[in-house]
Amino acid sequence: MRYTCPVCMFPRLPYPPRDYHICPCCGTEFGNDDVDFSYKQLREMWVAGGGNWFFGRTPEYWNPWVQLLRANIVEDIPRFFIDLRVQFDAVSEAVEIRNLMGEPVVRPTA
Amino acid sequence: MLRPYICAACEKVIIDKDDVASLISVFSKITVTVPSEADIPKNAVAPKEWAVFSLWDTDLGDELKEYALCMQVLYPDQTQFSEVTKIKMKIEPNKRSQVVVRMLGFPIGQVGRYTINTWIEENQQRVFGPIEFKIGFEIVKQEQTHKTI
Repeated sequence: MRYTCPVCMFPRLPYPPRDYHICPCCGTEFGNDDVDFSYKQLREMWVAGGGNWFFGRTPEYWNPWVQLLRANIVEDIPRFFIDLRVQFDAVSEAVEIRNLMGEPVVRPTA
Repeated sequence: MLRPYICAACEKVIIDKDDVASLISVFSKITVTVPSEADIPKNAVAPKEWAVFSLWDTDLGDELKEYALCMQVLYPDQTQFSEVTKIKMKIEPNKRSQVVVRMLGFPIGQVGRYTINTWIEENQQRVFGPIEFKIGFEIVKQEQTHKTI
């Protein structure tokens, strides 16, 4: 059985988030840290500190912001940008085939 | 054996009731505007939904095999962003198979060309690919304008 940390949304807690268990990801001690602060406040503090891994070796390819996105917590992710645009680097050409019976679209010059 | 028909990145894929897919804003480049003093951490991610749509030709008998579509995003320095995504493919006889890998964010920690690798595995063994394409990423710094009285 795995549990999800209600602060940082780490999905592989080996124990339920209570009884002084500590999240290895954000370091929240449940039953202690969450007495005076809400989960959201604790999350904001973790994010403000850079969203760093707390205990032991950081899991390979782990990313704190992807973890929050997967839990649908978008509002707490730092926005480093003002605007984001997608583009496609291509030249476009559209050809309309009017006569499917063989009349060429571009007539060859004599 | 599966053969690629389409593989592209776009902002959104809409699949209608007849399984017809429409790709919204096929893209090859992302540009973000940031404040001039901004310092973007290496692990930063923009909360931007995007998708990799792939469509595959199938052969008779493929429906009896267990194929997984795998997708990997590499930073411009070729290090990997997040885990490899693996999706079990749904295959029916005499039909193409299409897969939408929906991504919730785009990594913005490095400027340059990100690599998207897509491949097919059967029993954990790669049997096709990778199909590789690039997505360019650039940062535009916006100068702050200050009013003086």
